[in-house]
Amino acid sequence: MTINVDANGRRYALEVIRPPSAKGRDGSFLVSVDGRQREVDVKELGGVLSLLIGSKSYEVAVAGSTVHVDGMPVVIAVVADRPSWSRGPATAFDAPEGEQRITAPMPGKVVKLLVKPGDRVEPRQGLVVVEAMKMENELRARAAGAVKEVRAVEGTTVEAGAILIVLE
Amino acid sequence: MKRILIANRGEIAVRVIRACRDMGIEAVAVYSDCDRAARHVRLADEAVHIGGNAPSESYLRIDRVVDAAKKTGADAVHPGYGFLAENEDFAAACRDSGLTFIGPTPEAIALMGSKTAARQAAIQAGVPVVPGSEEALGVDVPDATIAGIAERIGYPVMIKAVAGGGGKGMRIVSSAGDLSSSVRGARSEAQTAFGDPAIYLERRILNPRHVEVQLLGDQHGTVIPFVERECSIQRRHQKVIEETPSPVVSPELRMRITSDAAAIARSVGYTNAGTMEFLLDERGHFYFLEMNTRLQVEHPITEMVTGIDLVQWQIRIARGEKLTIDPAAALMPRGHAIECRIYAEDADTGFMPSPGHIAGLRVPSGPGIRDDSGAEAGGEVPIYYDPLISKLIVWGDDRSQAIARMRRALREYDVIGIKTTVPFFRWMLEQPDFVDARFHTAYLDEVLRLRAGQPFTSVDDERIEVAAIAAAIWQMNGGSPVLLDAADRPRSSAWKAQARTEGLRD
Repeated sequence: MTINVDANGRRYALEVIRPPSAKGRDGSFLVSVDGRQREVDVKELGGVLSLLIGSKSYEVAVAGSTVHVDGMPVVIAVVADRPSWSRGPATAFDAPEGEQRITAPMPGKVVKLLVKPGDRVEPRQGLVVVEAMKMENELRARAAGAVKEVRAVEGTTVEAGAILIVLE
Repeated sequence: MKRILIANRGEIAVRVIRACRDMGIEAVAVYSDCDRAARHVRLADEAVHIGGNAPSESYLRIDRVVDAAKKTGADAVHPGYGFLAENEDFAAACRDSGLTFIGPTPEAIALMGSKTAARQAAIQAGVPVVPGSEEALGVDVPDATIAGIAERIGYPVMIKAVAGGGGKGMRIVSSAGDLSSSVRGARSEAQTAFGDPAIYLERRILNPRHVEVQLLGDQHGTVIPFVERECSIQRRHQKVIEETPSPVVSPELRMRITSDAAAIARSVGYTNAGTMEFLLDERGHFYFLEMNTRLQVEHPITEMVTGIDLVQWQIRIARGEKLTIDPAAALMPRGHAIECRIYAEDADTGFMPSPGHIAGLRVPSGPGIRDDSGAEAGGEVPIYYDPLISKLIVWGDDRSQAIARMRRALREYDVIGIKTTVPFFRWMLEQPDFVDARFHTAYLDEVLRLRAGQPFTSVDDERIEVAAIAAAIWQMNGGSPVLLDAADRPRSSAWKAQARTEGLRD
């Protein structure tokens, strides 16, 4: 089976052959990357994978969409052939055409709302102030528009990714 | 002294608990709501809840901290740094409740905490300060008088607002011709910003280094200064890397700056740990800047080159012991030490805070390495406090061995789940300017401005491919769906988009 992986924005087409003797992720896999084949010996320890490719040793840790190789983070997306994999919860990036969803970039507290529904906003105009770690971050409009919805409430705590304001 | 309450959290609370353990003293922790499971709470013998997450509801509540000490039968309080460490009311409240405050007297905190009073103390002790006008210059002071003062101080001069702060009402004047228009501009800005047009003048020190002297003073009149620390690598006036000894301080200069630092401390009868901060100009002249009346974040590098445990000595001094440190040993560094402050910040998005869950943590160790940390795998970096998660300290025979060990340690350091400044330090330690010690207090801000948001995290092609291979193997063997979750991707892009919108916070 071919697996397409985007690593730091670069697309790799991988074929992985799992050895019959493999236990979980442990074993010697045959991996071809863009047509070049090599043997990858894998041993899992907790959340960490030790990889030996030839005699070269790598330590890999997987955390969400980031894979750390020898302590260096690489942003990964496994691109499926089946489109069903790409359907996650609604995010700022699959919003309807022309709509801007202003989301909290980090967990924090909504300190101040700078707009109300119906307001016209200019590009880079401040919309809401979120405080995290003693620092106030003003979230701004990426483009001009009108405030359609204000979901944030002053004084409340929000999670990363929470939609605070919707512009149209 | 049998039981010490530590009025702090994070790595410094852990550091003080360790000193207590080393001395056979019991440690009492205090914690806010979100710190219930923090490392300092679990390491302590006893722990007391003192309120909500906001510092003003917990770690800054003098009444609750003192109550916690009384309730647990603690006989002394260590304030750490930050929070209540330089609050004379807290020191006084401890004293009034019969608790030993492990630090200077409330009177010394009040005196040396005032910049103008500390400057006067330095002048009286015969220590150079940045030349400037000693009094506020109100609107009634004629231009000719101000010109005379500027002439005496020497150009370039800085005009600063007496009521000032945040750069408002501040002007740099490089020659006499620009003086009166700059004075007018500064005054009107100061009037608008603070409602007070009074200004004062100060010599502008070009490309200064930040050099500071650690001191210990006992209650019997002995003050011992330690070998200087160099803290010129700063981002927006916040220290980022510290080292000792300073690569540019000669033994002769060391004798002068350390004995001057001790002279100021003696003149005010200072006790316990404190630090005198100086600016060092390009010609090797130093000027007293201010005093910190507490243990400093960067104290471990001094411990590494002198072998002296400063926190243990704070406790011993507080219980009335005499300083028995050999003054010569405190000034004779053995090797070289460097500290990097590892913050939960994403250097690639203009050092945005990156709080959250630490999914995995690999900490360096081995020869010459010390990691003073309050973080651990499975723990949280809360949004309410300073995002310092660890201080990585290395020791080497000399500066180049220390740099090599720091590079090695940074390579081993891996924090999973949140962003840290480790990639920034890996880059910084490779810079020729750092290796050759060519820097001053504005150096890093200038470099960051020139880089204009270029990322510090650089991964070689080989490891990017390995990441792709590992992801494929992880995924085809029942990898957790998070790796596949497309919704996760826009979140990291949203960060970057926001950082771009914000002009990288610069």
